[in-house]
Amino acid sequence: MAARPNIHEVDDDLLSAIDYCYEQGWTDGLPVVPPEASRVAAMCAMEGRPDETVLVHHPATGLALTVHALGINAVMAGCLPEYFPVLIAAFEAMGKERFNFHGSTASTGGSAPLIIVSGPVVDEIGMNAGVNLFGPGNRANATIGRAVRLTLMNVFRMIPGISDKSTQGNPGKYSFCIGERNDVNPWPSLTEEQGYPDGVSSVTVFAGAGFCNVENHGGNSPESILDSVADSMANYGCISLGQSIVVLAPEHVKIIAAAGWSKTDVQEYLFVNARRPVDGMKRVGKFVDGEYRKQGQNDMHRGLSASDILVTVGGGDAGGHSAFIPSWSRSRGSIMQHQAIGVCIDC
Amino acid sequence: MKLLDPTVVANCSPNYRAPALTDLKNKTIGLLSNRKLNADLLLQETAICLQQRHGGRILKMAHKLNPSAPAPTETLTNLAPECDYLLTATGD
Repeated sequence: MAARPNIHEVDDDLLSAIDYCYEQGWTDGLPVVPPEASRVAAMCAMEGRPDETVLVHHPATGLALTVHALGINAVMAGCLPEYFPVLIAAFEAMGKERFNFHGSTASTGGSAPLIIVSGPVVDEIGMNAGVNLFGPGNRANATIGRAVRLTLMNVFRMIPGISDKSTQGNPGKYSFCIGERNDVNPWPSLTEEQGYPDGVSSVTVFAGAGFCNVENHGGNSPESILDSVADSMANYGCISLGQSIVVLAPEHVKIIAAAGWSKTDVQEYLFVNARRPVDGMKRVGKFVDGEYRKQGQNDMHRGLSASDILVTVGGGDAGGHSAFIPSWSRSRGSIMQHQAIGVCIDC
Repeated sequence: MKLLDPTVVANCSPNYRAPALTDLKNKTIGLLSNRKLNADLLLQETAICLQQRHGGRILKMAHKLNPSAPAPTETLTNLAPECDYLLTATGD
């Protein structure tokens, strides 16, 4: 159990309270909703466990995230209480050892946790899985992602320039949260692939190093579209043994699925074709013999196998714009994790 | 208006610094690599320089499992009684 937070008495003036939060260093640079006690109580009431329940420990500092501390930061980010179970699950997933949230947050690599929400909760809380998927305009997407960052900064003290040493960072460090689009997805949802029961939603967390738009409006076959994706995945700036997220736009999905391709077909095609020759890797100074031997292929591919490529569907109906998100830095320091939302599967 | 502080205080046992060595003469040198590229080479060369100047024995290098995660407690408790001082480094 962790100690209850300090209480700060401030004037009953909202603008002054916002300024006070800035003065305390509690913000991400944007104004926050002042964490007033009754709002925090309403947030935490969405979680069945006591407020003092520890969700995640930070191995590097011993700091612990409680339900209550997460509730405070969720209020500051602008979350509604119904978003809170998603946030809880996101941190439970990030707390799994192989995600290594300390390393991926502290590193010069500048990654940000990408939160992908799958299942009925996407519609239930009004998340955006469609047009302008990674952009602004949706409260749930924007504030869940922002609450993750505020929590990393306020609770785990991952402060830019001090314990967050990102060389350049990326815009996702303000907020990086999307819903999986279900209505045009011809393949199993992430929740189904992860083996959760019907009706259960899940969150997937991934240390995302950036965002690459994959534009292809002329390709009319699975191969032509996926060659564009594979080429993005294998660019010399991104290729590594790390994992990948590919968010296929509905236009691209329609063409691929119409040819009878399954999601597994897509993953295997991308793994085979997202590659660079050894000579090229040596020429740019990125060849690492141990990694090459570990992978066991003739060329250097992105990841270790097709299962290192998560494929999902999202975005608006119009436009040949998919997305590739590489994992943090040079190798496999963080492995994506998932967690059921609002239920305990194995307890 | 009552605002709740969004930060937390670490709830961990206190840490103490080991007493500083007065000199390095004939002291046993431990090595802990973080597995970053060239870390092993940097550590080994540094240890050889120290050994040439001050004498002492160089232990077999220990390795972390992950560069950006803390070293396992067992690794540190195994090293502590074996060496007088420990070199650890990032190598890239």
